[in-house]
This record gives sequence, structure tokens and C-alpha cells, in this order.
Amino acid sequence: MTSQPSALLLVGSAKPAGESTSEVLGASLLQCLAEHGFTTETRHVARAMRTEARTKELLQAVDRATLIVLAFPLYVDSLPYLVTQALERIAEHRQAQPSPAPASFLAIANCGFPEPHHNRTALAICEHFAASAGFTWAGGLALGAGGAISGRSLDELGGMVHNIVAALDLAAAELAAGEPLREDALDLMARPILPTQAYMLMGDLGWLVQARRNRALTRLVARPFKPV
Amino acid sequence: MKATILNGALPGDSYVDAAAAALQDSLHAEGWAVTRWNLRDEKIAYCLGCFECWTKTPGLCRIDDAGHPVAASIIGSDLAIYLTPITFGGYSSELKKAVDRTICLISPFFTRIDGEVHHHARYNRYPALVGVGILPAANPPQEHTFQTLVSRNAINMHAPRHGSLVLYRSQEPADVAASLNHIFEFSGRVSQ
Repeated sequence: MTSQPSALLLVGSAKPAGESTSEVLGASLLQCLAEHGFTTETRHVARAMRTEARTKELLQAVDRATLIVLAFPLYVDSLPYLVTQALERIAEHRQAQPSPAPASFLAIANCGFPEPHHNRTALAICEHFAASAGFTWAGGLALGAGGAISGRSLDELGGMVHNIVAALDLAAAELAAGEPLREDALDLMARPILPTQAYMLMGDLGWLVQARRNRALTRLVARPFKPV
Repeated sequence: MKATILNGALPGDSYVDAAAAALQDSLHAEGWAVTRWNLRDEKIAYCLGCFECWTKTPGLCRIDDAGHPVAASIIGSDLAIYLTPITFGGYSSELKKAVDRTICLISPFFTRIDGEVHHHARYNRYPALVGVGILPAANPPQEHTFQTLVSRNAINMHAPRHGSLVLYRSQEPADVAASLNHIFEFSGRVSQ
């Protein structure tokens, strides 16, 4: 263990840098960790997996960190393809080392469904990964209604996200103390941002507005593939 | 009856390839028309999370690559089989790159299924879903996660039936074929 703790944020969203909810959540946690004396570094998985040279840089960044934070959007009940590929490479890399450096692994999952429990399977996969790669599992934060954040900063969103801010503050303090996350941080993160019915209505209206903007309103229910 | 096999074998994994071939042969013998996709050989770009397949070109990803025929193959089948080495309890990256591109098969609009929020169906009919996971040896926690993942996918993809099966690499090919027969029994019920 180095004298100064270091946190590496892996942003698992494929969206451009600065535009994803995953990055907002991960960067907010990193900011809290910096206040607790962590050095911080951020890598975007989609960029890192584009070339072998960048993937090697990612692996070197993993080797330098004492805490890895993976923030990702839920894709079809689990982790996005590129994140899965990155975890395969990280596990292979650490398994090839006789004694990989001790480090902790924390995951932050966000989904477009209002209920945060949709993230459970993905977080279980993260926990299995941590064990396979020789990391200490620090815990998994699950956020529902990610569409309500939609890449905007937590400062901009104000009171609507006060539980998220509190959860990240608490998580940073626990991580700085070298402890895994306790239930209170997990519970705060999982609290609803909006009532479920309101979120569903806003979500559906949002799709209609986007489709209208794209002149696709009349084709929204299209079935381009021939079913059986 | 039509079946689609998505083979998520990673490069050099001859065991999973052999399982895919055995599965295809056995389905053929049962009278199924089978399309097998060896995904590592297919050019399928990663899902950008742009949602244009919902709001700009509804039902169709804007990336024109093998993701289109793979999605078409799935929705055009009675049975979809996800075959994969179990990776941390989930799917391999090779399988996941194809699965991520199937959200075009559902609608963006929300609905409730058993009290939980999901997306509406886009099509009138969806294939049954079977997950076949390969592990080096028994690993109950990862097997549980894999089975849960298949079940969750089945809900989100409106599969009328689903099932999962875990095989161990210590099993002989003949044992694997016998285990796969459970799927045939299952898929036989699908068509009834």
C-alpha cells in the first residue's frame, strides 16, 4: 500500500466525456475522496478499449490505484459490452501477477428504470469480478431513475439529488477509513429521485419529444424486422 | 421452428465452440432450422447508448453492421439461445456486444410487469430464451447470478418462456450433449 491513497475512476458509459450520468456520479465521488486525501485519476473505458496501447495504459493505471471506482450505466440487466471486455482484461492482467497489489473495488450502477434494484445482477457481477481479480470488494451503489440526471451535474440538480450527494459523501468517508460501504450509504443512494409514476410519465413524454424532434413520431412503433 | 444460437465463445475457446456445434446438430436433428452466430467473427460495434433506435430510426440501430441481422435473426426465431463462458457470473464480452444491440427489439415506453417497471414490447411475438453458461467447475454464486441474469433478460425481452443451464468443462462432450437435451425438452414445450 502506498502512503497516499489513490482512486482510479473507470467511466463505463460510451457517451462522450462529460455527458454521462455515470461520469457525474463517479466524478462526484472522486471529488469527495480528494477531500479525504486521495489522489485521483479518471479513464473512460470506451476510449481505453479502442487500441491495445490505451488498454495497456488502463492496466497500468489500475496497478497504480489503491481504489478502483467503476461507474457504469445498466445495459440489458448487466454491464455494457466494453466494460465487460475491460474487466476481462483487468482480471487476466492481475491473475498473471504472482502477487497483485492490494486494492479495493467499488461499483456505481445507474439505470433508466425508476427502481434501483434492476442493478442488482450487474452489481453481483462486479462483486464476482472483484473476487476473480483479487480486489477487496468495497460495495456497490445502485441508482434508479438515472434519466432524471441525464449527465447534468449534481450541483445543477439541487435538492432533487440531495440523497445522492449525501450517499457519496458518506461513501467517501467510509472508503477513506478503509472500510467497505455500509448499508446507510447504499440506502441513501437507492432512495427514489422522483415518484415512480411521475418518472414514467416524464420518461414517456421525453421519448415523444425526441421522436418529434427527429421527425420519427409516426414511426415510433415500427417493426423493421419480420417476426416468425 | 426456428432457433438462433448466439455463440459468445472468446477467441481460442474450442470447448464453447464444440458445445455450440453440438447444440446446433441436436436441434437440427429435432427438426429445427438453426442460425448460429459465432459472434467473435462478426463485426458488431458497441452500443453507443444514443437511443436513436428508439427515437430516430425506431426499431433499427443507426450502426449498419452485423448487429442488424443478428437482431433480425433473434426476433425471427421461436427460440434464442445465449451460449457463453460464464464471465464473473454474467455473459462474455463477445455475447454482450450482440445482446446490447437488441434494445431495438423493444419499445422505449414504460410499462409495468408484475409491479416492476420495464419497457413495452415492440413486436407481437418474441422468442423463448435459453441461457447456456460454461464454467471451469461448479461455482454456485456465479451460477446463481447467471441464472438470475437470464431470467431478468427474459422479462425485459418479453420472452414467453426461459430457462438456463450451466455446464462444466470437466464434463465429457457426451455429457454436454445429454445436458443439452434439457433444452430440447424445454424448447419442445415452446412450440406447443
